[in-house]
Amino acid sequence: MTLLTMIVKMSEGLGKTCAIFFLTLLFALPLGVIIALLRMNKNIIISAPIKFIVSVLRGTPLMLQLLAVTYGPYYLFDISVSRNKLIPVVIAFSINYAAYFSEIYRGGIESISTGQYEAATVLGYSKAQTFIRIILPQVIKTILPSITNEIVTLVKDTSIAFTVSYQEMFTIGKQIANSQTSFTPFIVAGVFYYVFNAIVGFVMGRIEKSMSYYKQ
Amino acid sequence: MKKIIALLTCFVMLLSFAGCGAAKTSSSSEGAKKFIMGIDPEYPPFSYMADDGSYTGFDVEVCRAVCKELGWELEIFGVNWDQKLTQLDARECDCVWSGMTILDSMKEAGYVLSAPYYDNTQVLLVKEDSGFKSSADLTGKAVAVQLGTSGESLLNGDLKSLADKFSNVVTCDSFLKCFTELSGNAVDAVFVDKPVAAAYAEENKGFKIIDENLGAEQYGIAFRSGDEELCKTVEDTVAKLVENGTYAKIAEKYPDIVNNLLLLNK
Repeated sequence: MTLLTMIVKMSEGLGKTCAIFFLTLLFALPLGVIIALLRMNKNIIISAPIKFIVSVLRGTPLMLQLLAVTYGPYYLFDISVSRNKLIPVVIAFSINYAAYFSEIYRGGIESISTGQYEAATVLGYSKAQTFIRIILPQVIKTILPSITNEIVTLVKDTSIAFTVSYQEMFTIGKQIANSQTSFTPFIVAGVFYYVFNAIVGFVMGRIEKSMSYYKQ
Repeated sequence: MKKIIALLTCFVMLLSFAGCGAAKTSSSSEGAKKFIMGIDPEYPPFSYMADDGSYTGFDVEVCRAVCKELGWELEIFGVNWDQKLTQLDARECDCVWSGMTILDSMKEAGYVLSAPYYDNTQVLLVKEDSGFKSSADLTGKAVAVQLGTSGESLLNGDLKSLADKFSNVVTCDSFLKCFTELSGNAVDAVFVDKPVAAAYAEENKGFKIIDENLGAEQYGIAFRSGDEELCKTVEDTVAKLVENGTYAKIAEKYPDIVNNLLLLNK
């Protein structure tokens, strides 16, 4: 097999890798906000269970959660295993990443001084207005580097989807490596991931820059 | 002075790393020779985890007998099946001996292979109530196969035409997962070595093997290139076990495979 065929074959899998990546971000980023707000709720009946769930999601391997989401329903309730593996994969990834994002959001929201809230109240902002207009823009600015960190990890974590037989790029690389008794596909995979992350880094850098309007 | 100390510390650290490397080599001369057997720990009846948590299976028992005969200390190492040859090269194990199909590509890559000891066929395992009778019935259906097995290379090579008939081929990282996919209805059949399918169908109700020989191949043991001597020692010892009847005694415990053992049915 020539290097070119290898790259073409693995690029086909790259589409599936991207599917996990974008869908996970699409669901996990907003879900994280909801979890963060519930977690910070003053009512302990709401915040305590959320705190526990987040600790479980962060304290167990993603691989395990992936297996649980994919095969759990079959073992527990005899529901057929999904033929389209993208569904359980995106569910597991979104929930897991939402847990991490929620903690980043929480850190950002709690870093805003009470003076901001007081000033907003004095100026006649409602609670919702204060959060959306005053707090959130400041939060986003401060947490962007941490979010980039998670997104970069997400790119690499997509390879874990192989555990449930989802044929993403790395899986195809492994198959080629096997049939050709060669190490080259892994190098190709490494380059793919690096380029992917370089693009992510560039885009996030741009966003960070556009947010830094208060700095000179 | 500080620089010299720093340099010396670096040097000592390097030395200790070298020490680690040396200690890990399996053929250390102190005491009994340690022989590390690389197996797929999820590959019944050749190698699997017994109820008591220790590794067993036909290949493991034969290897154990070989080591006993030679006075070697046996260590069993569960390899990542799709990386088995890399792990062999990395000296994580001294051989791969676990119902492994010997392929020409392995010989070309320089590995030392033992004489074949088992005649294998590839079959399709389906659910009993599915009504599939031949591989032709599986046109447009999903089929699971384990990554790194000869079944997978067959579907990508000699049996490409068969693989193209399936709607898709799902690659799993272990046979257990292939079978879970089958029982969970995510795939319609599993393409697998016959003894493994037979062992699974016997243990679990509701499965059957499609009686159609899809690929003939043979099992052997792989050693690193240059280990011809080790290979010969193991082969000779196995031959001795065949002669004194130990081999047959072990084989008796595995009725599913006994008919295809080349050394017994010469």
